[in-house]
Amino acid sequence: MKSSNKYINLLLTTLVSILIGAVIMLALGYNPIEAYIQLFKGAFVGKLNFGTTLQKFTPLLLTSIAFVISSRVGVSNVGVEGELYLGAIAAAWVGFTFKGVPGPILILLCLIVAIIIGAAWAYIPGSLRAYLGVNEVCVTILMNYVAIYITSYLVNGPLSAKTGVPQTPTIAEGAKLAKILKPSQASAGLFIAIAVVIIIYWILQKSTIGYKFTSVGLNPMYAQYVGISPQKTMINAMLLSGAVGGLAGALEVLGTYGYFLDNFSSGIAFDGMLAALIVKNDIKMVPFMAFFLAVLKSGALGMERYTGIPKSIVDTIIAIFIIFATMEDLFAFVQKRKAKKSEAATSGQN
Amino acid sequence: MNEYIIEMTDITKNFGTVKAVQDGQFNLKKGEIHSLIGENGAGKSTMMKILYGIYPNDSGTIKIRGEEITNITPKIAIEHQIGMVHQEFMLVKELTVLENIILGFEPKKKITIDFDKARKEIQKYIDTYNMDIQLNKRINQISVGEAQRVEIIKTLYRGAEIVILDEPTAVLTPQECVKFFEILNNMKADGKSIVFISHKLNEVMEISDRITVMRQGKFVDTVNKKDTNTAELAKMMVGREVFLNVEKKKSKVGNTILKVDNLWTSGEKELSKIRGASLEVKEGEIVGIAGIDGNGQSELIEAITGLRKVEKGTVTLEGINITNLSPLKIRKAGVTHIPEDRNLRGLNKGMTIMDNLVAVKVDKKPFANGIAQDKKAIQNFSEELIKKFDIRPNNPSALAQALSGGNAQKIVVAREIDADGKLLIASQPTRGVDIGAIESIRKILNDVKAKGKGILLVSSDLEEILSLSDRIIVMYEGRITGTMNAEDANENNIGMLMMGGNPEDAKKSAMRGDGTLL
Repeated sequence: MKSSNKYINLLLTTLVSILIGAVIMLALGYNPIEAYIQLFKGAFVGKLNFGTTLQKFTPLLLTSIAFVISSRVGVSNVGVEGELYLGAIAAAWVGFTFKGVPGPILILLCLIVAIIIGAAWAYIPGSLRAYLGVNEVCVTILMNYVAIYITSYLVNGPLSAKTGVPQTPTIAEGAKLAKILKPSQASAGLFIAIAVVIIIYWILQKSTIGYKFTSVGLNPMYAQYVGISPQKTMINAMLLSGAVGGLAGALEVLGTYGYFLDNFSSGIAFDGMLAALIVKNDIKMVPFMAFFLAVLKSGALGMERYTGIPKSIVDTIIAIFIIFATMEDLFAFVQKRKAKKSEAATSGQN
Repeated sequence: MNEYIIEMTDITKNFGTVKAVQDGQFNLKKGEIHSLIGENGAGKSTMMKILYGIYPNDSGTIKIRGEEITNITPKIAIEHQIGMVHQEFMLVKELTVLENIILGFEPKKKITIDFDKARKEIQKYIDTYNMDIQLNKRINQISVGEAQRVEIIKTLYRGAEIVILDEPTAVLTPQECVKFFEILNNMKADGKSIVFISHKLNEVMEISDRITVMRQGKFVDTVNKKDTNTAELAKMMVGREVFLNVEKKKSKVGNTILKVDNLWTSGEKELSKIRGASLEVKEGEIVGIAGIDGNGQSELIEAITGLRKVEKGTVTLEGINITNLSPLKIRKAGVTHIPEDRNLRGLNKGMTIMDNLVAVKVDKKPFANGIAQDKKAIQNFSEELIKKFDIRPNNPSALAQALSGGNAQKIVVAREIDADGKLLIASQPTRGVDIGAIESIRKILNDVKAKGKGILLVSSDLEEILSLSDRIIVMYEGRITGTMNAEDANENNIGMLMMGGNPEDAKKSAMRGDGTLL
């Protein structure tokens, strides 16, 4: 009963935020119905549009799952963005350096290096938190800047393609993932992402690793007492989270761009984190939320093009969405009052 | 005129499908101390929370001073001069005692708070009831006993004539209890009416005028103290005869299992909390550690089990040095441990019963193949343990937080007994559990002893130590102040050691069999 409530709440928040978005559009003198139709079309109708939605969905899915993983042990990994950047540039470097290596092996190599780099980057805040109690939110936020500036330096300096645009040379043809739904930018990376999410789901829900994550996240003192080291478990979760973040970056390079472009992400991982936060890190719902955000993001382009409504209105809707989702208590309160009223009514009859 | 100031009739209260109170009857006379007793989950606290307006009652009537009151809220309750001291204190740790007491009811001098007036008024209560509190200290600087007195003054300051105390003695040492009862008697003499919720029968018999017993959400009876005794009350509470004093059987005492040699460790706040403790536990014996809470028992146990760093000295298990190994390795060496605080360490309340039961075997076959968990095996295993240890509810997928204190403790006991170690460390194994569970846990400990295992028992309940142990060790301020065989021990000589008395004197008085010094 409780879990169905949760889904109803989410549906309610979705509707309310779309409604408020409509009111804002009306206030700005636009036609909201037209806007939403265009938004829907922009996200789903036509190969290009739907492909763009899927292309945006892939990194959102992975980064949101990365956030869910660390949340299991009670650690907030806000550093997925940094891991994504570092993973991306590592994959690009492998991709354009080892051009002689045959395709499938090169792809695997790119992904593995990106995963290792992402995990290693997450190890730093993870171990600081586990052994010294340093707040991981601060550390990861600051480390994002470090990571982004490192990639920025590399792509403007040693790894530059020297074309005037801050990007690396193009990776080997063999390392590029097959495109789907051409002419969009979507790629087979989507399937890799889905496979990874299924594996992560299994690890978190069905394995002893997930059991230990949950034990530590819910009660570290208990975990220590039954013989599960909270420190090691926290670090393991951060390694896994960082690995998924690094993978997300690699898929962007191998699938979407074919090279590393300075500042290419502009906050993908933060959107992923929001997707996770909106559904309170419920791993079953995170993919749907990530998809929904991808729809909004890609549909916004179409909406802007055809109605002239600035696409930032979509960001406003997402923001409202988050506010309402975190205000779950509001709906709980309304339900309680209703329950009270009906209770009073029935007791009145007695 | 009506002799009762509170009358609660035919109260029912359901939480979802749980029937917390089905047939609640309670009344209170002016100027009496009325105890409300029952096992955990019998509905005592719920009844009083209904009276104080925290929960609405589903049906039934509540009369205060003859006037029927509906839809009580805490605000209305306070207006009717009812005050409640909760089990968990509701104090702001960072504020001073004075600020806490007047919080929400500050006397004003124009726009500023008139602290002088408040201080004078509160001093009046302190003097009247002989309560020893320091108004200028912050809450986090005072003891639990003092914090409780602050809670009581808070209710009085808000004008309470009727004070409800929800298990007030659970957090007090025996010495603090004596003082606490004095205060209650002073309050009674001043015409206040007191509701005393407890499940400790000897306390109830000491302090009450009348006693109401509840069982499984139902009213059993209200009796005058002078017409009853503890055995009868226990029978009413549990619904059958209870045998707490299980017959002590001597087992064959074998080789030394645990040897702690000159152990030093630090506490949370003080360095060197434990200074040079040495003890031994042999096969087939229960060694009881007596002492008032906070005299280093917790730190000693944590040091032995690897949860706290040993600074000096050694811990050996059957000749193998286990000093400062990880908790996992110490478990693997054969130590099982019922921790003193099941909420903090013993259980993961957010997880299911089966996840809690399997915790120490989670990596072992058949519960795991590699890293894949076998949920079916875990479920079967849990169902077996639930049946064997009579854990209720018997659904392995229920969350641990849904369980009453006794059943929650049974999960911990079941897990540790099933782990089948060489040494069982049982720290406060029956704290906060109901009589029925106390009976079964004590029986389990004796069974473990009979199997030839060693048990190190820590309890602040002296009666428990005396009735279970073969040898008794007393701790005071981080040191072991005495060791004696159970035959030589009694409440007096152990009690004296617990309060830091001279061990020599204690021994002499043990020989004389009384508690007097010299």
